[in-house]
Amino acid sequence: MIHDYFNFAILSVRHRALRSWLTIIGIVIGVAAIMALIMVSVGLKTAIKEQFDLFGSERILISAQGFQGPGTLAAGLTKKDVETVKSIGSFKYVAPALFRQAEVRFKNEVKFTSVSGFPAKDFEEAFGDIGVDLTEGRMFRKGEKGVAVIGFRVATEMFDEDPRIKSRIKINGESFKVIGIFEEIGNSQDDNAINVPMEDARVIFKEPNAVDGIMAQAKPGADIPFLQKRVERALERARDDENFQVLTAAQILDQINTTLAVVQVVLIGIAAISLLVGGIGIMNSMYTSVVERTRDIGIMKAIGATKNDIIGIFLMESGLVGLFGGIIGVALGTGLAFLVGFIADQAGFSLLKITINWGLILFGLGFAVVIGMISGTLPAVRASRLKPVDALRYE
Amino acid sequence: MPNNLIIHLDDVYKIYFEGQESEVRALQGITLKVKKGEFIAIIGKSGSGKSTAMNLIGCLDIPSRGKAYLDNQNIANLSESSLAHLRGKKIGFIFQRFNLIPSLTAKENVGLPMLFQKLSRTTRLNKASKLLNLVGLQERADHFPAQLSGGESQRVAIARSLANDPELILADEPTGNLDTKTGEQIMDLLTALNKKEGKTIIMITHDTAQAQAAERLIKLRDGQILTDE
Repeated sequence: MIHDYFNFAILSVRHRALRSWLTIIGIVIGVAAIMALIMVSVGLKTAIKEQFDLFGSERILISAQGFQGPGTLAAGLTKKDVETVKSIGSFKYVAPALFRQAEVRFKNEVKFTSVSGFPAKDFEEAFGDIGVDLTEGRMFRKGEKGVAVIGFRVATEMFDEDPRIKSRIKINGESFKVIGIFEEIGNSQDDNAINVPMEDARVIFKEPNAVDGIMAQAKPGADIPFLQKRVERALERARDDENFQVLTAAQILDQINTTLAVVQVVLIGIAAISLLVGGIGIMNSMYTSVVERTRDIGIMKAIGATKNDIIGIFLMESGLVGLFGGIIGVALGTGLAFLVGFIADQAGFSLLKITINWGLILFGLGFAVVIGMISGTLPAVRASRLKPVDALRYE
Repeated sequence: MPNNLIIHLDDVYKIYFEGQESEVRALQGITLKVKKGEFIAIIGKSGSGKSTAMNLIGCLDIPSRGKAYLDNQNIANLSESSLAHLRGKKIGFIFQRFNLIPSLTAKENVGLPMLFQKLSRTTRLNKASKLLNLVGLQERADHFPAQLSGGESQRVAIARSLANDPELILADEPTGNLDTKTGEQIMDLLTALNKKEGKTIIMITHDTAQAQAAERLIKLRDGQILTDE
């Protein structure tokens, strides 16, 4: 029976092809928007999570609390704070870092990019811990000076001629020898950065004492939240202020995910509105169809169709319109999501990986069918209530 | 009640807008007994009540007063769905305007009454082919109504009316939209159904000449039976 209603509905949708298409478009737009938004935001979440897995769950990041409003100037971190953190003693290593923009010259080309200073003795271990490898060359080691390990894009895109191992680049006028090239990490910030030993960074940035961030790597199995509190307390006591923040990977991830969730809700809300409009489109089209086919309904009732038959036929038809809209919408939405992924990749954010999620696809299709059927309910009931005599007389 | 009656109208009234100023007394006390196997023509001018009579006989409507029986069942006592089911099973309709479903092919149209009796697709398609064969339209099976001539459409409609092997065929001006020659062919087909298949046929017409084909002629005027011979 269901199968027969289905055939009947297909024939009827086909018979009014143009109007059917116009109705279907309404659903397509809504479903495509929702699918694309969900797929991109799932991809984004995965990307952020991967980024933090990279960062490492056993790492605590200490940074100066920035500008806090007019008239205040936060005191930055210094070498002394590094010693304070080290004195806690529960860390594998405590590495200060300087992150600044600098003028970088290769051959006769000049670019501005971020340059990080990192203690030479901890460099290899710190990057090894988070699983970042080199494509070529080696990391710098304890005691080395005047050497640089460059990001993937610095080596492949930044300059007309690509710097290689043993190439010499000038950072703020100082000469450095390229000894290593990182593999692609996936975000343009890291892939466009240049890493040099801390002592060199202090010279080129003229910062003998300042520290922009401290990375403290806990020993395996350490109680991270507890350690975080100890660091906070130690720094408060030593500095006698609270102009710093101590964050763990999990906390930062939470913050970003919260923000992302809000954005997601807003965007999906907008998409839902378009789906609602699509549903109203189906309802409108089904009402028109009921009026147009009043005579057909009369005929069907005369030759033995019951109320339920008529409801079944019309519901199947609106559900089918929803399904067609859903199929096209899911395909379009998926395509759109992959397009966003491709554009992000081209823009340097290759961590955003869009993946096919069959559950989500089924949900999209089911949702479209349900919207179609809900929209078709009122017209179907109205059609079923037509009296055969009146319906047959209808011109 | 004798069980060889297929239709029994017992002092039936049909009054529209009863009690209002615009009250229309379409039928005023009609009593009519139709035996199985009869071929009856109901004639009358427009406004005589013949369409209303047809609607009541066809169980498309229920009387305002009086009783209407289809195969010994009082139609006023039946639920809407049972009435629809009964109608689909016992009565085959042929309309002046053919009333085929435009989105379905000839074969699908013929199969439709069987769909509402919940018969399987295979059964429906086989039966539909046979019926189209019977009315001489087997090669038009996959055509849509818009691709058929008037005569062909009416033959498809006749095939459809036979789908559930009904005992009664109710034809409302079956030749009204056809030219004389085609109309004669349709009349021959109806006569053959009565004579060979033993179908009860009630035909509504305003064409006195055509009504001669029937064995029994009922004249309606002003909602009452004028003659029954």
